[in-house]
Amino acid sequence: MISWVAFRRLGLVLFAVLLLARLGPNTAAWAADALPSVQLNADSISPRPIEELTGKNIARDYAYAWQTLAQALDQDRSELLDGYFTGFAKETLSRAVADQKKSGIRVHYIDHGHKVSALFYSPSGDAMQLRDTAQLEVQVLDGDKMVHQEQVALNYLVLMTPAADRWVVRLLETVPGF
Amino acid sequence: MRYLLALLIFAVTLLFVAVGWVTSGGLARAEIRSASTPTEAVQALLADVQSHNWDRAYARLANNKDIDRSAFERDLSGSYRSLRTYSSLEGFDVWPIHAASEQAVVRANLHWSTAVGPIDDVRDLKVEHQGSSWKVDWPSPNLPKVPPQVIPVNYLRWDVINRGPEDDWGEQNVDTPQVRIISMNPVERPDRLIILGEIVNEDTVPAYVNVNATLLDQHNAPMSQEGSFDKISHTLLPKQVSPYRIDFPGIKLKQIKSVRMDAKAMLVPASADPVIEVSGQRMNTDALGKKVLSGELLNESGQPVNIAQTLAVFYDSNGRVIWVSDGYIDQALLPQTPVHFAVDLPDDVAAKVQNYHVTVNHYSSGNS
Amino acid sequence: MRHTFVFFILLLLSELSLTGARAADLHPPKQVTAGNGFSIATTGNGDATFYLVGPSDRAKQTVRLGNAIEVAADDVRTAGRYIATVCGSDGCASSAFYVVAAAPAQLSFLVHPSRVPVSAKDAISAVAFVFDKFHNLVLQPVKVDFNVAVKDAPAISRSLPTNNGVAWIRLNATRKGGPAQVVASIGSISEHRVVQQVASDACNLRIKATRKGNSVAVETETVRDCSGNPVPDGTVVTFTATDAKGKTTVDAPIKRGTARVQMRLTGGATISVASGVAMGNEVRIGGTP
Repeated sequence: MISWVAFRRLGLVLFAVLLLARLGPNTAAWAADALPSVQLNADSISPRPIEELTGKNIARDYAYAWQTLAQALDQDRSELLDGYFTGFAKETLSRAVADQKKSGIRVHYIDHGHKVSALFYSPSGDAMQLRDTAQLEVQVLDGDKMVHQEQVALNYLVLMTPAADRWVVRLLETVPGF
Repeated sequence: MRYLLALLIFAVTLLFVAVGWVTSGGLARAEIRSASTPTEAVQALLADVQSHNWDRAYARLANNKDIDRSAFERDLSGSYRSLRTYSSLEGFDVWPIHAASEQAVVRANLHWSTAVGPIDDVRDLKVEHQGSSWKVDWPSPNLPKVPPQVIPVNYLRWDVINRGPEDDWGEQNVDTPQVRIISMNPVERPDRLIILGEIVNEDTVPAYVNVNATLLDQHNAPMSQEGSFDKISHTLLPKQVSPYRIDFPGIKLKQIKSVRMDAKAMLVPASADPVIEVSGQRMNTDALGKKVLSGELLNESGQPVNIAQTLAVFYDSNGRVIWVSDGYIDQALLPQTPVHFAVDLPDDVAAKVQNYHVTVNHYSSGNS
Repeated sequence: MRHTFVFFILLLLSELSLTGARAADLHPPKQVTAGNGFSIATTGNGDATFYLVGPSDRAKQTVRLGNAIEVAADDVRTAGRYIATVCGSDGCASSAFYVVAAAPAQLSFLVHPSRVPVSAKDAISAVAFVFDKFHNLVLQPVKVDFNVAVKDAPAISRSLPTNNGVAWIRLNATRKGGPAQVVASIGSISEHRVVQQVASDACNLRIKATRKGNSVAVETETVRDCSGNPVPDGTVVTFTATDAKGKTTVDAPIKRGTARVQMRLTGGATISVASGVAMGNEVRIGGTP
C-alpha cells in the first residue's frame, strides 16, 4: 500500500521528468533566443577614433548578428540572416543553412560571449574591422544524433559596414589566431 | 403602433435634416438673402461662393454686366492648378468700413481651407444700393493671360544614377551633398519656442535637405524633437541658402539646456529653373494692421508655377536671424506675370528688423 | 572436443569484434588553402560515416576506416575553421583544421568622397580590401599600389602592405579641378575610381550692370574660386538690388560660367551679389535718363 505522500512525491518527480523531457529539444531554441554578451574594446582602433554612439551600436548590432545566426542555423531559415548580415558573410551563411537543410547535418551554437577589439575604422566611416574571441559550445548533429560537441574559444575576423539604421556583418571569418 | 413608429422615424429624419441645414449655415444664408444692408449683401454673396452656387453669386453682383461669369468663378475658385483650386471657403468675417446712402465699403476676411493649411484673404469690397437692395461691386478680375510666345529655355538639370543593388560593395557611389547649418537662434514666444536659422548647400550638386532639432533638458536628456516640415526650402541648389524654422509649442526657453541640430541631406535630381524674381520687397502694415513684408514674385521661366511659397528670413542689426515666416500664394505664377505676396511678422520683431531676404519654394505639376 | 571447437570459434569471433571496435581516428592537415582538395588520413577498421562541417559547407559520406578520405576542392572554398568527424560503430572522433585564403584575386576599393573641393588636405581616403577568388579576405600581407592621376599633373604613387587584409591611404586634393583617377592594384588586379575635384567657394565675385529701359541687366564675370577654377554651372548666385520701390532679390544659377539676371528697377539702385556665404562687389546704377 503506497501512502498519499509517497504518491504525491512520485507524481512531482514524474512531472519534473516530463518537464525536462519536454524542454530538452527546445533548450537550443532558448539558447538561440538569448542575446549574447559582447564586450567591445576600441582602444587600439585606427586611423580614426570610434564615436561613442557608434561603439554602442557596433556592440549591439554584433550581438544581434550572432543571435540571428544561431536562430537561422537552428531553424534552417536563411531569411533570418537578412537583418544583420550582408555581402560575403550572408552568402556564406546562407549556403550553410541551405547545405544543412539538404544534408540533415546541423550545427548548433551555444554562445557564451564575445570579447571584441576594434582594429580598423575607415577614414570615411564606412567600414570597421573587428577581432572577436568568441566562447562557444559547438554541437554538430546528424538528425537527432550528436556527432560532435566541444567547448571552444574561436577567433573571428569581422568586417562590419553601416546600413540604413544599423551596422551589418559583411565578413565573418574564423582565423587560427591573431 | 406601426404608424407611430413610421411617424417617429419621419420626424427624426426631418429633425436631422433641419439640424444639418442650420449647422451648414443655411439659417445664415436664408437671413442674408434679402441683402437690406451692405454687410448682408457681402454675406449673401460669400455664402453663395461658399456653397459653390456661382450663378446666384454672379447674379448678386452690381457690375455683372462688366464681368465675365467664368472669370468671376476663376477669380474665386482658382485656375492653373493653383493652391486656390485645392481650397474651399471655410468661413468669412464681414464688417463695414464706410457707409453712405448709395455706396459703402465692406471689409471681408475670407477664411480658406487649403491643402497646406488655412489661409486668410482680406478684401475691401464696394457695395452699391440698387433698387431695393444692396449689391456688391466686384473688382474686375485681373486674370493674367500670357501672350503666345516662344521662351527659349536653356536650363540646367541634374539627374542621379546611384549604385545598383547588384553592384559590389566596393563599387563607388555618389556621395550625399555636403550641407551646413550656418546659423541657429532659439526665440521664445508666449506660446512656444522657435528655432530659427539658415542652412547652406556647400556642395556642387543639388540637395534635398531637412533640419531637425532636439531639445535637451537640464540633464541633457531629449525632451522634444521636431522638424522644419514646410518651413524650409527643401531642394537647395549648389551654394543656395535657405532659412528654416522649427516650432516647439508649449515649451519655454528656461526648460532647456541645449539644442541638438541635425541637418539631413540627400542627393536628388533637380532643375535650376524656374528663376523667380522677388521685387519691391518692403515692410509695411496691411489692412488688418499687421506688420508685413510684401512684394511681387515674377516667374522668369516659360512654365507656370502652380503653387509658390515665400519664405522670408529677417535679421537684426547684428545680422542674426530673428524671425522666419512663410506664406503660400494661392494663385499660379504664370510666366513673366507679377504676383503680389505678403508675409506677416510680430510687431515686436518687426521693430528690430534691419534686413530681410525672401526665397521662393515652387511646385509645378509634372516637375520635381 | 566439439565443445572445445565451439569455444575457439567464439574466442575468434570475440577477438574479431574487438579488432573491429578499435578506436577510429582521423588526422587532417593543420591548414589548407581554399579551393585545394586534400586527404585526411584515418585509423581504424570497418565502415564509418565521415562528416565535414565548415563555415558554408556540410558534407557527409561513408568511408572505410584505415583509408585516406579525399576532400574535394569544392568542399573547402570558404576560409575558416572546419570540423572533420568520423563515426564508426564504437563512437565518433573529431579533429579541426583551418582553411586559409588563396592568392589575391579581387580588390574591394572604397574611395571617398566622390566629390572634393580642390586643394583640400587629406580629403580623399582610399581603402583596399584584398580578397581571393572565393571572396575570402587574404590575411597574408600583400603590397597594394595606390596611384592617383590628374590630367596635366604628375601622378602620385605609393605602395602599402595590407594589415589583416586592409591597406589604406589619405590623399590631398590637387589645386586643379577635374576628375582624379584613383587606382589600387596588386599585380595585374586593379580597381579604378574617379574623384571629382570641384571648385571651392566663389572668390572675387564681381558683377556689372547695364540699364535697358525699365530694367537692369546684371551679369557676373566668370565665377571662379580662389585657385582660379571655374565654379560649376548650377551654383546659385544671389543678386540683391535696392531701389525706391524696395528690395529685389533673384537667386540665379550660373550658366556657362556666369550668372545673369534682368531686374525690373526704376530710378537709381544699388546692386550687390553673393554666392552661398561668399560676398561679391556692389554696384550703383543711375535712374532712367
